[in-house]
Amino acid sequence: MAMRCKRCRGQAVIEVRRHNAAFCRDCFLRYVGQQVTRAISKYRMLGHTDRVLVAVSGGKDSLALWDLLLELGYQADGLYLSLGIGAYSERSKAVCQDFASERGAKLVVNDLAAEHGYTIPEAAGTGGRSSCGVCGLSKRYVFNKAARDGGYDVVCTGHNLDDEAAVLFANTLRWETGAMARQFPVLEATRPGLVKKVKPLYRVAERETAAYCVLKGIDYVVEECPLVAGNTQMRHKETLNQMEEAAPGTKHSFLFGYLERAAGLLRAADDAELAECARCGMTTQAPEDPAEAPVCAFCRSKARLVTSLPVVEVTSG
Amino acid sequence: MLVTARLRPPDRTVEVADVRRVADLLARLEVLPGAVLVIRDGALLTSQDELRDGDKVEVRFAISGGA
Repeated sequence: MAMRCKRCRGQAVIEVRRHNAAFCRDCFLRYVGQQVTRAISKYRMLGHTDRVLVAVSGGKDSLALWDLLLELGYQADGLYLSLGIGAYSERSKAVCQDFASERGAKLVVNDLAAEHGYTIPEAAGTGGRSSCGVCGLSKRYVFNKAARDGGYDVVCTGHNLDDEAAVLFANTLRWETGAMARQFPVLEATRPGLVKKVKPLYRVAERETAAYCVLKGIDYVVEECPLVAGNTQMRHKETLNQMEEAAPGTKHSFLFGYLERAAGLLRAADDAELAECARCGMTTQAPEDPAEAPVCAFCRSKARLVTSLPVVEVTSG
Repeated sequence: MLVTARLRPPDRTVEVADVRRVADLLARLEVLPGAVLVIRDGALLTSQDELRDGDKVEVRFAISGGA
């Protein structure tokens, strides 16, 4: 017998086991919209007068997020960062451009090689960072810089419930309390040069963002990044999915329990001091030795990669 | 009864015999239902939906890694 929608009793097209529910197309789209609205409201992520920059990769999460924000009436432009991963990056860019053009939305395109002198395949393995490590570092830096330079009030990323649970799982396994303290659905702009970052999809599972795209006819890049195979986050997600299969709601309880009961304690105990990077001026962690000039991880990584770039130290006073 | 399943990513196609429902297909493929979408003619299927002889379905993995 076909499953029935929990809300309208029509024919269901998707189950959401952690909520012991199934939905038809329209009720599911409404459910996703409500989850995003609830996230935005709970953490005061966005206002309708804010200029919003959505970091888009061409994947299901970021395009679903951009679509949702536009539907909810936010002033949301997209930012695509070309990572130089051959045909994969070209296809990803084309998908984002088509998405923007179909909706009359603005897409800002940045290029890592043109602006910073390296691609992710070139950077992989240098300085002890994996390709995913250097990719994440580069994205965080470029998203903030692009938002700051473009006069945006907030950067939105497509991190979903599974992403957040997997990161929390990894940090917990290593008791990375500093990283845990900074894992939150909203990071305020606490210093000049920092732009507020928010994750409006943190209540939505990644299977649900994929379903949202299929049901809305959003063309996204289904292929996995060729550099990501076998990475740690994938392995952690597989482990969590095994647990979720046996006990639906496990990922939700793990993440939401942390956010509600532990995140505040860790944030209060986080004593990381911040400083201005001596090379680029971005905010970074202050070095333990006060005599040492603070240099952010992006500048350190880039200096190792692009040896021909001149390194100019900025002195204060 | 034979069902053709295209699994991606990575892209590969397999034929599976004697599976009545989507849940049976996923069990035979040893795929966790919570990690995939099953799509037939552009429409999503639930685990309880029945399959027909000659069906061509896509089993799309919804897990992605990354930074």
